[in-house]
Amino acid sequence: MKRRITFIQPLGAPFEPDQAVLSSSNLAIRGLDAARHDRITLGLDDLPEELRNVLESSHALHLRWAAEEHFDAIAPFSSRVSPGLHAPNSDTLCSVLRTVFGADEGDRNGVDCTSPEKSFTTPPLRSTRFATSTSLQYYTRLPSLQTLVGFIRRTICHQRQGGAKCHDHADTLLMADSVDIDYDSTSHTLAISGFWSSAPTGGWIEDIGRLAADDKIEIGLLGVEPGASPDELKAGGLLGSIGEDKKLMPTMFHLPSRHHPFAEANTYSISFSQPTGLHPEMSISIPHSALQQPPAPKDFTCALHTYLTLPSSVFIDQYQVGTDDPLFLQEHNLVAVRAFSGETDLEAPDWAVDRWGSTWLLELATPSADSADPASNWTSTIPMHLRYLNPSESGYRSAAVPWPVVFWACSTEEEGKMGKNPFDRINLGYDELFGPRTIFYQLHPASQHLVEELDVPVLKLKDGEGLFQARNIELGTSVVIVLGFLWIIWRLARVVWATGLGANEVKRPETHEKKE
Amino acid sequence: MPSSVIFTVPRVLVGACFLRLILLVYGGWQDANSAVKYTDIDYMVFTDASRYVANGESPYSRDTYRYTPLLAWMLVPTSWQLPLPWSAVSFAFGKILFASADVLAGWFVLQLLRRVYRMSTIKALKYVSAVWLWNPMVANISTRGSSEGLLGVFVAALLWATLTKRPITAGAILGLAVHFKIYPFIYGASILWWWDAQRDGKPATKSDADPFTRAMEFVTHSRVRFTLSALATFVALNGVMYLRYGMPFLQHTFFHHLTRIDHRHNFSPYATLLYLTSTGAAGFHFESLAFLPQLILSVVVLPLALAKKNLATAMLAQTFAFVTFNKVCTSQYFIWYLILLPFYLPTSSLMRKPTLGISAAVLWVVGQALWLWQGFNLEFLGLSSFVPGLFLASLVFFAINIWILGMIVHDAGFNGDPIALAKKVHWEN
Repeated sequence: MKRRITFIQPLGAPFEPDQAVLSSSNLAIRGLDAARHDRITLGLDDLPEELRNVLESSHALHLRWAAEEHFDAIAPFSSRVSPGLHAPNSDTLCSVLRTVFGADEGDRNGVDCTSPEKSFTTPPLRSTRFATSTSLQYYTRLPSLQTLVGFIRRTICHQRQGGAKCHDHADTLLMADSVDIDYDSTSHTLAISGFWSSAPTGGWIEDIGRLAADDKIEIGLLGVEPGASPDELKAGGLLGSIGEDKKLMPTMFHLPSRHHPFAEANTYSISFSQPTGLHPEMSISIPHSALQQPPAPKDFTCALHTYLTLPSSVFIDQYQVGTDDPLFLQEHNLVAVRAFSGETDLEAPDWAVDRWGSTWLLELATPSADSADPASNWTSTIPMHLRYLNPSESGYRSAAVPWPVVFWACSTEEEGKMGKNPFDRINLGYDELFGPRTIFYQLHPASQHLVEELDVPVLKLKDGEGLFQARNIELGTSVVIVLGFLWIIWRLARVVWATGLGANEVKRPETHEKKE
Repeated sequence: MPSSVIFTVPRVLVGACFLRLILLVYGGWQDANSAVKYTDIDYMVFTDASRYVANGESPYSRDTYRYTPLLAWMLVPTSWQLPLPWSAVSFAFGKILFASADVLAGWFVLQLLRRVYRMSTIKALKYVSAVWLWNPMVANISTRGSSEGLLGVFVAALLWATLTKRPITAGAILGLAVHFKIYPFIYGASILWWWDAQRDGKPATKSDADPFTRAMEFVTHSRVRFTLSALATFVALNGVMYLRYGMPFLQHTFFHHLTRIDHRHNFSPYATLLYLTSTGAAGFHFESLAFLPQLILSVVVLPLALAKKNLATAMLAQTFAFVTFNKVCTSQYFIWYLILLPFYLPTSSLMRKPTLGISAAVLWVVGQALWLWQGFNLEFLGLSSFVPGLFLASLVFFAINIWILGMIVHDAGFNGDPIALAKKVHWEN
């Protein structure tokens, strides 16, 4: 097992040497106020058998989970995904996802997939850099990692006989702001990373030590600031390895980075115009002051984007929004739909849709320099539509729409790759839709809760009581239609009775025919 | 101005063209200046499909293109890349086609009323312009680019070819119309039943003839020609399209419409039930028998009882029954029976008894309005109005339609055939 723990402190944060003391067998952390990133890399031998078999047969597994509550994504962990569980570029089995993260119990907060062939979607890939042999995508809302933690306690902790320490360690995931799980099929290793944007009250207090003799634990206490060149970050602080180093060693290094921090004032907020009806319209509002171009290198061109992850109950009409009509795009402050994938059927009800939903990459318009009123917000709107959902007792159901991520993407056509960065994060769903040389600047969501709940009107149905239960609707419809049918038959019978099936005899009209 | 000055054939036709021209130009202006488009969404589907066809691809590459490839072929000029202002004209080509079809349909009806019904020109013009040629709803539908207007000209031409005794032409039109949109097949039943030997000037069958002779006499030249012509046209068109576009053609043009379960709210009395059953919440499946009342009425009983008495009104009743009992019903379906109204209205009890006529019209509109109000609550205010609102509104609307259909049946059965009457009056004078 390998483990890397990184504490990130804001510049100028108080730090006393006795807050992190390295001894021969452990690192004592005392009241440290810092963000934390913790990555554990496990070999297949460290894993329980049920998981080992699944992983050995899988080519790619990348899971990205983000909490529904707001957190600060600080450098070098500045990338964001919409809240929920994402599986971009994976060929994971649904049964594993259900076991590890918990199945959907009808409340849409859990894994609801039957098989990758049915439920997963195929993303459109522009860049082959991230492409894996099988590119399937899955998403579900997942407010809590309770089931994952239970699974780790039951299996990995049990396997490694880690005892209470392993349980405590697993429990910390419940407070994590984001969690990544990656399986590398060449080295046969599983990496689980957690990110906590802030310390628990009182700061981090922990004795970090090895569970097994061959465990390798690296520790870093770092401060990160913009680097000398705009595509780099600069990190400085202390590094050490438990059991190998006698004390933490001071260090300073440059990090070429794909994701860059953006000043805190660069925020966006999401809302839906009320009432939402069956055609909700999402608004993305950005203060004008937050619309300045990011500090990208000179030869990079930047554009503002949003990446939406929509559950199957909500959809965008690709023909409506994907139009090139300048009037429509102007009215909604959009530039173009750059990519979309997944369930885009325009008619199917939710219960007839197997796939989890859809993803959309849209380029947003920005105001021209002279029209910007710095005091107001700049708003882009995206028309959406709701699918019919199953009937309910109240006549309403909720559709949860996670906040999209909004970011500047700055690219250059120049050949070459991004430099290596130990904290690099890929497979976010949207990064592979851009060229290899792209830098992302994330805007910060301006809300505590990052999921919008929409009220969807549905057929109101009470089991066994009230006038409008299923049986009465069936009965009422049948009776009315049969009566209508019989009425027409009766009218026809009277005609046939009086005149037969043939032509009528021609009579002079009665005198009520008016003269012209 | 006396009505004889306004109501001359050229003036009515020019007026109809002018109305459509204004709407076409206005539509072009609104499309260019507003994010809310005048042009129908379906027209964008047609023109997208035409672009695929022009590039040698299948029109079914466009999602939700659920029509015959003929339509995409007809609209190929919309895909031509021309400089302004010609691009505006080429884009509107389909609309111009649909609007011209409208006017042609009106002209057919007008000719029939004057020549076959021997109605005075002024009276014929009044009915045709009020119901069809000058009806803003009809002009609006075709100039927005909905293909329903084409059905109008097919049905009017079918009736014209039949009443002027052109069995092969009538059959070909029917084959084409059914290939275009399935529902006109119901007219085959009434036209076949109508076209007995007496229509072709033969003496009536003796009532004491044995059943075999009577059965053999059913097989007349005209009926055979009409049937073979209709089948040949239908099979040939489908054969060509199938060879060219394969399974997707059959799937989207026919199977989709036969198997679709439209669960979204619409005027049909079945809408709530379909929503319920498609979620698997219903016990017995009444809707799986929905085709029975619909087809028994519109294909069997109505043609049998009414076609020989008054063909055009029988066809109106068939259409009315087909739409009223259909599992899906949207406002575009109403245009299907509008084209047949000018044949029925002049001798109907709705016109003879103004209070009855006005009540029927008011009730029909109120039924619509009730439903639309509930639909608005659902669609735009997000209120759960499926039950009782939309459910009851659709049943009330159904009941009003049944009442009106009952009147049409009565009139068709007892009023006497206006064509035979016109002939008799003509002979006697």
